[in-house]
Amino acid sequence: MAGGAHSGALEELDSRPGRDTIVNALVRRGLIGLSVAFLAALLLAPLAVIFVSAFQSGVQAYLRSFADPDTQAAIRLTLVTAAVVVPVNTVFGLAAAWAIAKFEFRGKSLLITLIDLPIAVSPVISGMLFVLLFGMRGWFGAWLAANGISLVFAIPGIMIATLFVTFPYVARELIPLMQQLGNDEEEAAITLGAGGWMTFFRVTLPKIRWGLLYGVILCNARAMGEFGAVSVVSGHIRGLTNTMPLAIEALYNDYDFTGAFAVASLLTLLAVLTLVLKSLVERTGYRRR
Amino acid sequence: MKEGQPTVLPGFGLTLGFTTFFLSAVVLLPLAALVLLAASTPLHQLLDTVASPRALASYRLSFGGALLAACINLVFGFIIAWTLARYEFPARRLMDAMIDMPFALPTAVSGIALTAVFSANGWLGRYLAEIGIHVAYTRFGVILAMTLIGMPFAVRTVQPALLEVQRDLEDAAQTLGAGRFYVFRRVVVPAVLPAILTGFTLAFARALGEYGSVIFISGNLPMKTEITPLLIVIHLEEFDYRGAAALGFVMLAASFVILLAINLLQAWGRERLVRRSA
Amino acid sequence: MSITLDQLTKRYQGVPVVNDVSLEIGDGEFFVLLGPSGSGKSTLLRAIAGLSGLDHGRIALHGRDVTHVSARRRGVGLVFQNYALFRHMTVAENIEFALRVRRMRAAERRQRRQELLRLVALEGLDERLPGQLSGGQQQRVAVARALAHKPEVLLLDEPFGALDAKIREGLRRTIREVQRELGITTILVTHDQEEAFAMADRIGVMNFGRLLETGSPQNLYTHPATRFVATFLGAANLLLARQGIDDTRWGAWPTAPHGAGMPREREVVAVVRPEEIEVARSREALLSASYLGHGIVEEVVFNGALERARIRLDEAPDAPILAHASGDGGVLLEATRAQFEQRAFAITPGQSVTVGVRRAHILPTPLSSFTICAPNSSAAERLAGNPFLLDLSTRMKTRIRRYVEPMLGGSMPIRATPASLPGTTVIAAAGDVTSEAKWLLEHGVEEILILPEHASAPQRVLIHWTEDSARKATLAMSASVLRHLAAEAIYVDVLPEETLAPERSSGIRALLDARSEARASHGLEIRTEMRFGVAAQALEQRLDESPGQMLIVGIADTSQLAGEFGSLLAKPRWPVLLVHREREAPAHSRSAA
Repeated sequence: MAGGAHSGALEELDSRPGRDTIVNALVRRGLIGLSVAFLAALLLAPLAVIFVSAFQSGVQAYLRSFADPDTQAAIRLTLVTAAVVVPVNTVFGLAAAWAIAKFEFRGKSLLITLIDLPIAVSPVISGMLFVLLFGMRGWFGAWLAANGISLVFAIPGIMIATLFVTFPYVARELIPLMQQLGNDEEEAAITLGAGGWMTFFRVTLPKIRWGLLYGVILCNARAMGEFGAVSVVSGHIRGLTNTMPLAIEALYNDYDFTGAFAVASLLTLLAVLTLVLKSLVERTGYRRR
Repeated sequence: MKEGQPTVLPGFGLTLGFTTFFLSAVVLLPLAALVLLAASTPLHQLLDTVASPRALASYRLSFGGALLAACINLVFGFIIAWTLARYEFPARRLMDAMIDMPFALPTAVSGIALTAVFSANGWLGRYLAEIGIHVAYTRFGVILAMTLIGMPFAVRTVQPALLEVQRDLEDAAQTLGAGRFYVFRRVVVPAVLPAILTGFTLAFARALGEYGSVIFISGNLPMKTEITPLLIVIHLEEFDYRGAAALGFVMLAASFVILLAINLLQAWGRERLVRRSA
Repeated sequence: MSITLDQLTKRYQGVPVVNDVSLEIGDGEFFVLLGPSGSGKSTLLRAIAGLSGLDHGRIALHGRDVTHVSARRRGVGLVFQNYALFRHMTVAENIEFALRVRRMRAAERRQRRQELLRLVALEGLDERLPGQLSGGQQQRVAVARALAHKPEVLLLDEPFGALDAKIREGLRRTIREVQRELGITTILVTHDQEEAFAMADRIGVMNFGRLLETGSPQNLYTHPATRFVATFLGAANLLLARQGIDDTRWGAWPTAPHGAGMPREREVVAVVRPEEIEVARSREALLSASYLGHGIVEEVVFNGALERARIRLDEAPDAPILAHASGDGGVLLEATRAQFEQRAFAITPGQSVTVGVRRAHILPTPLSSFTICAPNSSAAERLAGNPFLLDLSTRMKTRIRRYVEPMLGGSMPIRATPASLPGTTVIAAAGDVTSEAKWLLEHGVEEILILPEHASAPQRVLIHWTEDSARKATLAMSASVLRHLAAEAIYVDVLPEETLAPERSSGIRALLDARSEARASHGLEIRTEMRFGVAAQALEQRLDESPGQMLIVGIADTSQLAGEFGSLLAKPRWPVLLVHREREAPAHSRSAA
């Protein structure tokens, strides 16, 4: 929404004759006040409290929290998980979007519904699904135990669960985008002799880059911050199968508030970074449908 | 894609195959496991878990709380969307960007932060405690967390709808003699009604399944402040897979119903503008 | 008078978007506001509807002053470009909206609705939703809706913009018929001159927020008073001509010196419409036209009923020249010929033909071209790049010539007059402006534009004349310039400090006279101000108050350049247009104002 056009229309509105300026001013102030109060209580205060609590024992204490080996392990695990999950989901998103946007086939709506599923489902349930599959008493539990592979209560399980909850993000950005952009350019490239991969990399990818980036940013944020699903699957073994959110829970339950909020502050900074990147991408003109 | 034309573009087999494989492995298989486990459990055992007093209490809290939170978001979401869409004031852009914060912030972080703010000696909690309102470790806390988590949905669905109600419509209504409140009632609200309801439903769905931001502030007292997802986790920790699956099935069923409702709402919204049923 | 607009002004961020518009529209008249996008016509319409406030001026509808009345209570009906139908309401509910607001009973509402549906030929579509109607049908619903509450005035804001040609024509006819049947005063805003011609009783042409001319379509087309209206209402060839006492001749300005005794000629702009150009085999074969020149046909385009031809005239000393830009290599004329003309004499590209003119209309505006005058060629170059000059000449579509005069400002006695400088002379504000100006005026130049180095289009123009005899010419020049600038115009009259009360009131009367003359004779709306003190100082003070101003000053005597005005001109901070007319008018005849 262009700021200029917006304010031009507002200015005209203000200049109109016969406006009941007192009532309007009151309503305006009231609504703005309510909104600010609501958001301040629900958003700003919590954000502020994170940093205040993290530093309440001083900067040294804050920094010392990160020297804890369990915390470091958690940070490492989170980063590694994201590093694995995000690329895989990006590839999936691209493939799914290509299939759905460029072709007509039966069962397309079913496919789209399945893609939307993880978003509609509680994260706990998402995690539970994998426990049911790979847990000790699960479908593959016996086979896995016999072959010495542990998925649940181990790192691979965490990655699979995270994969499940985050895979829709890239696809959901790309599908409507590619549908909107149409096939003309790709068809032109084919008629000019380009192969499939070349068309994809040279024609499609540049077109969708901002949507792709947007989806990746969201996917990453969710991957690093996922709690419910990972909590179910992880086993909470400190130093081994705790991601950062789980580490926060562990530290909190141990009453190590400085530690908990210190880790939380890192994730908060990530969230802020995510929002900043989001608005930068939006400024390039990319608009979510 | 033009009708009836053979596909010119390559990659159909590859992409569709990969997508189907991925979805089967990651979505269908796990779902099947859940459904089969629940289906293979004898009915009385299912009912024991699903209809136990503790489960029923958790339903009351999860569903009821989510409903209440969605109602709060309905009202405040509209107010915030209106304020952002219609007024200019300092820090408007900042406020606009902040709306997405609950979406980007990990749930565990919002959980401990909300608790810190609203606990009895927290920044806001202490004032509320003075007037006798306790938020942390009560149902209020649960509803508060659910409100926070659903807020972006309520705002972001209504905001574009409000912007889209062309200025012209309100101008036209004014030249036809309508006062501002009449215009609001008869022109603006009906036009954004589908969006409002969609936002409500999305917020409800999100709040229903929420785990991380709720369990810190709720206190998790069984029968009092225990949400259904937590109950599922407890069954899992006790290795009662069947019980967990049963409860999970209930929640999944609820999610499907809600998803269906959302799709119907959106279709209704489109249809209102095209064809009226007598 | 049904609608009276009095000096309406609206500024947006300092720039006047609607600039001193005054207009009276009669009962039942269909008035069309025509102008390019950005000319302020939509803003003006919205102001009349009450959707936009004004910074200055009055609006009266049927004698009722509605300037401060909200849109709700003005009793107008407004039809929007994008229909603005309530998409969640049926056609019936849309039309009945205004009646519902006024608490009319359902049965009466239904009756009125049926009337209106019949009026716009949409009977039977009551229960449809806007999304199910075509564009033309939606627009008709919008019209019916706007008329439901029997407004006194119907306003239409580019209502046909989103529709295609065939539908547009049908809708035009419908609206015209509806308007006639109801006898409702109507204003329609458009940028399409064909639409304006088809529908209007009277047209008002707007540009840069100003109402330039009003008149019947026929009148505006055949007798435009301004360059802009001439070219906006239809294709036009603009040619420079020399107008003497008895006749008007084509051709470049003579380079031979004017000795005393030769009749004085003025450079004027002539409008020759393409359909008034006759193409023939030879001069003798010209039937109804007067001879213009010989040329080669460059392009012929068949266009159904008409043929469009472009003909390049040979360069010759008496060949006409284009009024705008620098046409190198002879004039390129646009001609349109009807079928019978094509049958009489077919032409093909490359053919050599003779061109004649059946009818040329001389524009009464005094500003025909610019001539840069500088003491050396580098100074002339610099002046030619002046942003304001370039801007102005582009907007006014006038050409810029260059003339290097080493003697500029010199104190040598005048022996032989150099080539007279046609049009408006332009000099730089550097150097000894006063003596340069004096020198030029003594050599017969009548208007001088003095430009500072970094001049740009002003937002306000101050007008002043030292004597009454210069009034007419100054107003004419001001009008010409102001038509092409988005600037306010203020006439500043300066009375001596010690003026007593009775003289003050006559001074005020003089202000009002100036305003009415500007309006009546030149179609220019100006504000007026009175100041006290010494003229040049007062003007300088006023000019210093804010940036982005320009001064147009008329003098009758070159001696006035010295002294007070000399110091004013010597400070190159604002563009100054100096207008000079002799006190008496011996053997001068100017039909151009």
